[in-house]
Amino acid sequence: MPSDTVPVAFDVYRYQPGRDAAPRYQRYTLDLSPHTPVLTGLLRIRDEVDPSLGLRYSCRSAICGSCAMRINSKSRLACETPVGEELQRHGRIVVEPMANQPVVRDLVVDQAPFWQEYRGIEPHLRVDPRRPMPEGKPNPMTPAEVDRFHDTPRCIACAACYSACPAVADDPAFPGPMALAKLYRFVVDPRDAARQDRLVRIQTEGLWLCLRCHLCTEACPKDVRPSERIRDLKEMAIAAQGATEHGSRHAVGFKTNLRDAGVLNEMKLVRQTYGLLGMLPQLPHGLKIWRKKPEVARRPHPIEGREELEGIYRALDSEDGK
Amino acid sequence: MKLAYYPGCVAQESGRELDLSTRWVCRTLGIELVEFPKFSCCGSGFIDEANEVLNVAINARNLAIAEAAGLDLMTICSTCQGMLSLAQHRMLDSTVRAKVDAALRPLGIDYRGSAKVTHLLRVLVEGIGLDAIRAKVRRPLSGLKVGAFYGCHLLRPSDETGWESGEEPHSFEDLLSALGAEPVQYRGRVLCCGFPIQFVKPETAGRIAGRQILDAKHHGAEAMATPCPLCHTSLDAYQGPAGKLVGERLDMPVFHLPQLVGLALGASPQEMGLARHLVPTEAALARVPTPGR
Repeated sequence: MPSDTVPVAFDVYRYQPGRDAAPRYQRYTLDLSPHTPVLTGLLRIRDEVDPSLGLRYSCRSAICGSCAMRINSKSRLACETPVGEELQRHGRIVVEPMANQPVVRDLVVDQAPFWQEYRGIEPHLRVDPRRPMPEGKPNPMTPAEVDRFHDTPRCIACAACYSACPAVADDPAFPGPMALAKLYRFVVDPRDAARQDRLVRIQTEGLWLCLRCHLCTEACPKDVRPSERIRDLKEMAIAAQGATEHGSRHAVGFKTNLRDAGVLNEMKLVRQTYGLLGMLPQLPHGLKIWRKKPEVARRPHPIEGREELEGIYRALDSEDGK
Repeated sequence: MKLAYYPGCVAQESGRELDLSTRWVCRTLGIELVEFPKFSCCGSGFIDEANEVLNVAINARNLAIAEAAGLDLMTICSTCQGMLSLAQHRMLDSTVRAKVDAALRPLGIDYRGSAKVTHLLRVLVEGIGLDAIRAKVRRPLSGLKVGAFYGCHLLRPSDETGWESGEEPHSFEDLLSALGAEPVQYRGRVLCCGFPIQFVKPETAGRIAGRQILDAKHHGAEAMATPCPLCHTSLDAYQGPAGKLVGERLDMPVFHLPQLVGLALGASPQEMGLARHLVPTEAALARVPTPGR
């Protein structure tokens, strides 16, 4: 045995629905070099210790995206996660299947919900008749056009972002970071004819449920930065259709609200988002808050130098003055 | 230590107890806060959704105000911290920078990018130092099990906010230990409070907040603490509806970070504005022994 190995304990989630009463964690200890990827450790467990361990993998090189799982709570690729770094950071290695998808067996999940969301955004070009595909030839784009979405095609559909997303966990209406990043890729593709349709549809199909928590961007092994592409989609959706939903009304309301005084008028923003009638369901709990914090209903004191803000809005906000 | 104080909107309005307790703590620890009535709101992530460049410009103006006075800027809100850091980061992009400069220059505003943006948590842990704080503790929060709740934008995206690990931060727990409290480890401490969609879909926002409170509770927390007034709004002001959505009575007192520091340094509950919370804090504080003086 090489001398640079250390004992590494893996606490692995074990569960087969229909057979096991409840999930359990099973400990396996191996002597491994700190540079060993978690996936290699798991394969050695399966091949040398316990052939019943279920896991999914293929390329072992961070290309196929098959081995995403939760390692010490973080959704990531097991093939590019060295055991030494995990031990250093957490003092242990807990391996669990991805979240937000039902477990099939042990570390294997059913990815059907993830792929269903992906299909839902129509991940293919609807060719613009004004820019037809030349017969038998590629349809070229300029480098500047390609630059707008050069990072989203890096996605390997590993679903680590989907597993990490709290909006996916708590609201089935949210399509998830990967589907939205892919949607962005088609929305900015100059050859696509469906841009307007896509933006209008997504406003009512979950776009505004993103929490901006950036857990997807942290989880992504390919630096696709889904949370930032979702932000781009929001701005484009408002530009395409105006503020039609609570989410977009809140964003646009905040923007106009700030122009008035430089600080937020909390009550006015609620009205801008919901409208007067829409505020009614908020009222009973709103009153409870108001009793403790009467300032929520007060007009805030404007900042000094408001004219500077107005100048900034005039220069940079095309909607300014409307 | 002298810093430009960026209180943000909420701490000046519905979250006044945060401003109150921050001032008390800074006064006690010798941190001089310089106020700038020209500071505007940071846009709270919402203006960024509506107009990215406008959002950068608004915050570049805030940063330029501190720069002109030769001061670094201290926030007391994870979202303000995130938005100001984001503006600094996006101003490194020459296209964005050109648009923003073109809007600011005619107004006589010169953004140079020299001011640092730092949160009160970091000022306490790195600027003042845990040993110095420990030495000033008059009422150790002994026995109080506290779940720290960081707030997304203090941690992520980690390559933009870049202070401590977004995955396994520990500054807040270190501070709680220095105050004599017992920090509770739970996964939810680095997750989202639900606030950004409180006005988009309150049911989902409430379930998310409730889930994090339950996580803290199941790991033994008797109280939570947050460096962000928006998280505080979700976890305290909206805890009632959150409890109904997760089907459990939560009864979790939630402190603003400087409130716990102040209490440990000898401030009274009144001085920390605790009566303004929706979830009472008395039961949690009753666990803390009163100093025998």
